[in-house]
Amino acid sequence: MSSQAPSQQTRSSDRVADPDTRRANALAHLVLNGALVVLFSMLFVHAGALPSSMWEPLGAGSFPRLVLAVLIVTNLGIMVQEWRHYRSNTAAAPGLVRRWLWRHRLAFGVLALFALYIVGVPALGFRLASLLFLVLAQLALGVRRPRSLAIAAIIAVTFSFGIDWLFRDVFIISLPRGPFG
Amino acid sequence: MTEALFAGMDQLFTLSTMATMLLGVVAGVIASAIPGFTITMAIVLTLPLTFSMDPLQGIATMLAVYVGGYSGGLISAALLGIPGTPSSVATTFDAFPMARSGQPGRALALGIWSSFFGALVSVIVLIIAAPPLAMIAVKLGAWEYFSLIIFAMTVVASLVGKSMLKGLMTGLLGLFIATVGADPMMGVARFTFDIDLLANGFPFLVVLIGIFAVSQLLQEVEDAEQTKHGKQLIPANVTFKPLDALRETLTYPINLLRSSLVGVFIGAVPGAGGSIANLLAYDQAKRASKTPEKFGTGTPEGVIASESGNSATSGGGLIPMIALGIPGSAVDAVLMASLMVHGIGIGPRLILDHGDLVYGMFMAMLLAAFMVLVVCLFSMRFFLRVTDVPRSVIVPVVLVCCVVGAFALNNRVTDIYLLLGVGIFGYILSKLDYPLAPLVLGVILGPIAETNLRRALMTDENWTLFFTRPISLTLLILAVVSVAFAIRQRLRQRPSEKTA
Repeated sequence: MSSQAPSQQTRSSDRVADPDTRRANALAHLVLNGALVVLFSMLFVHAGALPSSMWEPLGAGSFPRLVLAVLIVTNLGIMVQEWRHYRSNTAAAPGLVRRWLWRHRLAFGVLALFALYIVGVPALGFRLASLLFLVLAQLALGVRRPRSLAIAAIIAVTFSFGIDWLFRDVFIISLPRGPFG
Repeated sequence: MTEALFAGMDQLFTLSTMATMLLGVVAGVIASAIPGFTITMAIVLTLPLTFSMDPLQGIATMLAVYVGGYSGGLISAALLGIPGTPSSVATTFDAFPMARSGQPGRALALGIWSSFFGALVSVIVLIIAAPPLAMIAVKLGAWEYFSLIIFAMTVVASLVGKSMLKGLMTGLLGLFIATVGADPMMGVARFTFDIDLLANGFPFLVVLIGIFAVSQLLQEVEDAEQTKHGKQLIPANVTFKPLDALRETLTYPINLLRSSLVGVFIGAVPGAGGSIANLLAYDQAKRASKTPEKFGTGTPEGVIASESGNSATSGGGLIPMIALGIPGSAVDAVLMASLMVHGIGIGPRLILDHGDLVYGMFMAMLLAAFMVLVVCLFSMRFFLRVTDVPRSVIVPVVLVCCVVGAFALNNRVTDIYLLLGVGIFGYILSKLDYPLAPLVLGVILGPIAETNLRRALMTDENWTLFFTRPISLTLLILAVVSVAFAIRQRLRQRPSEKTA
């Protein structure tokens, strides 16, 4: 897409260029949009039960229902488009998913660390959770040499304890403290 | 008028006022360069510091933060592909690809000059046309607002990505996400299912950070080998030639002026603001361009349109505030509050009762625009050092900043859980080539669209008014033209794609 711009465009076009992935991509679109159609249909029904108002012709559920109805139609339109792509491409070679997951291992690793960090912020407090996240994420992303490790440690302390100090004492915004205060 | 202008200048050009303004500019640039730290937050944090200043010094300092903020969003948009503020979403379309192709210095320099000229045009328009423009802006009723949002959404959906249907889908998804939480008219909880996490809905800033920052950063580390070998975000010898960029910016005078005027007008419409202005300016530039196919690949026209458009909203936003006492945005409301703290009444008589202050504000905008230019030109070499930082450092650090930004918005831990969920969803969407900008815009514009639709029908149940009121009809026609233009563009591109 243009907004996330050419870096992504290049990546996506690389993917599209590979006939193996075209069918898998189409399948992914079908699954995503199919799931969204089911979800939006349930929400459409749910929105119908939202209260109406005696002061206005539209109730609390009208606008969401309008949006959900158009969304469902759009999702179905995308499914039709992608179904054509799915039919016109041959099945992918075995092991595609495994190769894809292996190629994205670092991104998933960082995502897993980030998820643990988010859970850790209220549990451990911002300072400690950030310190651990910054150290582990930098190690995961390839920091190995002694000099790099020293810089990584300085960055971890600066962006955990330093940011906490900045927000607490300068901006008077208290970040989560956790049990260690 | 001349007397008031000189009186205002006399108060403004003092060492202490200029010093606090300079600090304000630096604070605004830095704040909006951090994803999740908005101009509004920077202005709110500045407000208490201005209580002890005299009225003009206080408001001039806040205006400096305001003008600096509109330019600072460019930095993270160009270098990281993450819009620092919602008003720099369209800047990522071309400035980021330009930076990625090894020209980050050119992207930043073009953005800085465009921002400067945008702010300059807006101040000139502000001085000349504040009262008449304000009168047009307040004539817009709920019908026109709703039609404006429809127009903005069609523009966004048609601008991004190869598939308009996917752009439309994510835009609508954004509109739906905005309906989660309390209903804007009746306060009824919608789609919360008694879950604490959803009780307050999805704050747009959390969606903005999650969608852009988290998914973008994860994509940065997809290539494990490059990341582990300490590769930088932008592998290039970074050069920064501001004079070349000035010449290049001035080779597009029509684009610069048109985008700035779009920014001024959108800024003058209460509630619209920079997030719409930069997209509309970008859209207009693309339509008028001889090479529209180059938009989204790193063309200077795109950077100029977006940055001059969003910076020009700063002056436009002051028009309804000064002429009628109506704040055009949250930032303008804080500016109004700062005047009220000093016992200055806001309303149509402001310019009559406090002419020196109003003209002082105009001059402060102008001075702030010059200060931003100087500060940015001198500090960009420092900001460009970001490109030397390896991904192994920048990715974790920016993720921590995102968490801080999401939490500090409302001091709610649930917002950081939402950040994670939205980030993962954004990553999935981006992997499947769904454009993300319409989603964020949908979340921002959704409440405005719903409130105005319901308000319009509350005022008069006759829905044909959307098509019979001239401005509303014009906006709806523009929406249809926007879609038709996008379809035509696509049909034209198809044969060339096939032959390629």
